[in-house]
Amino acid sequence: MADYVQMWKDLGMDLETHDLLCQVLPTAVGDVFMSQENRPTAMDFWDMVISEVHGIRPAELVEAQKQGRKVFGTFCVFVPDEVVIAANGIVTGLCGGSQFWVPAGETVLPKSTCSLIKASVGARLGKTCPFFRIADMYVGETTCDGKKKAYEILGQDVPMHIMDLPQMKREKDIVKWKDEIAEFAKVVEEFTGNEITAEKLGNAIRIINEKRKALKRVYDARKSECLPISGRDALLMIQISFFDDPERCAQMCNRLADELEQRIKDGVSVVPEGTKRILVTGTPLAVPNWKLHNIIETSGAAVVCEEMCTGTRYFENLVDETAATLDEQFMALSERYMKNNCACFTPNTGRIDDILRLVKEYKADGVIDCSLKFCCLYDTEKYAVSKALKEAGVPVLSLETDYTDTDAEQLRTRIGAFIEMLHE
Amino acid sequence: MSEQDVKYYILFEDYTHGMALHELMLADCVPHRIVPAPRSLQGEVSCGMALLVKPEDVEAAKACIERHQAVHHSIASLAGQIKPMRDKYC
Repeated sequence: MADYVQMWKDLGMDLETHDLLCQVLPTAVGDVFMSQENRPTAMDFWDMVISEVHGIRPAELVEAQKQGRKVFGTFCVFVPDEVVIAANGIVTGLCGGSQFWVPAGETVLPKSTCSLIKASVGARLGKTCPFFRIADMYVGETTCDGKKKAYEILGQDVPMHIMDLPQMKREKDIVKWKDEIAEFAKVVEEFTGNEITAEKLGNAIRIINEKRKALKRVYDARKSECLPISGRDALLMIQISFFDDPERCAQMCNRLADELEQRIKDGVSVVPEGTKRILVTGTPLAVPNWKLHNIIETSGAAVVCEEMCTGTRYFENLVDETAATLDEQFMALSERYMKNNCACFTPNTGRIDDILRLVKEYKADGVIDCSLKFCCLYDTEKYAVSKALKEAGVPVLSLETDYTDTDAEQLRTRIGAFIEMLHE
Repeated sequence: MSEQDVKYYILFEDYTHGMALHELMLADCVPHRIVPAPRSLQGEVSCGMALLVKPEDVEAAKACIERHQAVHHSIASLAGQIKPMRDKYC
């Protein structure tokens, strides 16, 4: 086994507690992924990454830091990776998806905070995740009240920059977000010591666009009646894409897409004909949160699409590559990112439009709208989502959960009944 | 415990050795998957990869290792490791 103990020690990690996480990961990976038959061979890359999730990539980041590069940790799909890359910085996702980190988060946050925020804070304060130790600067955003307050706590422990995301989508809001991006660029320049030029930003825009195109190719394959990949595997791919080098991510996703497209031509499906197709929407599923997908896919259905931040919102819409000046590029970035239909916006009818469109594109038989407990925004939007889907004749199941295993049996009962109803 | 419940894990000192054997087994068409090594098989405080092989493929895997003199730590068998409806997540 690879020995990363010295690196973890150097990062100031709590090795004894971290080892408890190392104990449970193999069991979950085995149950969720290795129980599947006929997985795409190209999933070997993501199998390797998750097997060494606290080893290989953290070691790469530490090595890059030794070469003078800075690592920026982010929590949201609104933070423009392009700006960091243009300054020769590195972006890593930081959202916590494990119950393991929640108790440490609850030492400083109210219990009535969503699991994602508690886990993210707990991973930092508990010193049990190398990515949280490595990041030189955290970049937050104002997408919910829980995060805003959590960032104040994290900001006492690590350099923090907050981007003020507008809560509406008027023309002046898009201009405001452009100004926020320009200000972020100045912060990144100062922190890295590297100037951002139009040429560098243009190149970074192309890199991230290529990543988006590659992710979209994999998702497009899931639109086929012949389903070449499970929802669990697609979820793992997109979860890891937040942590990986963007060019390698594009390369690996294209390699996977090649195989999936060939599978479709050859009629190779991972599920029997007639398996009900589910679109999942709601709060993001940060790694290693696989509970919902595993329960759905071991209850006789298949997840064919995720309308969420760990899903279509991460790759849909490209940034205009024709902008020539920094000012134009910041505007192009703003226009693209402001197309994201997050529940923090009012109104957010674009999300309803997206769900209805994606149901058709991915040939979904039903929708499961699932939010984390204490996420007021997504919980409240369930009413509008459910109403619109019912009017369109699309069956919908609204759920609420957290990172614990305690509601798994209840979820199995409700999801099982929903899938059975789809067969009637 | 049925034969199907038993799985074989090829263990390595370093993931580069594991990836090298993974490529060799792919080329030799020996079915396997990359997995995190079960904790009970790890000797030290460390995460790490292993190659998972089904009972019906383990002899082909051993032959592949022998043929290429592939570097590995050991091969261990474990039963009852994979239960898709166990609902024990991280």
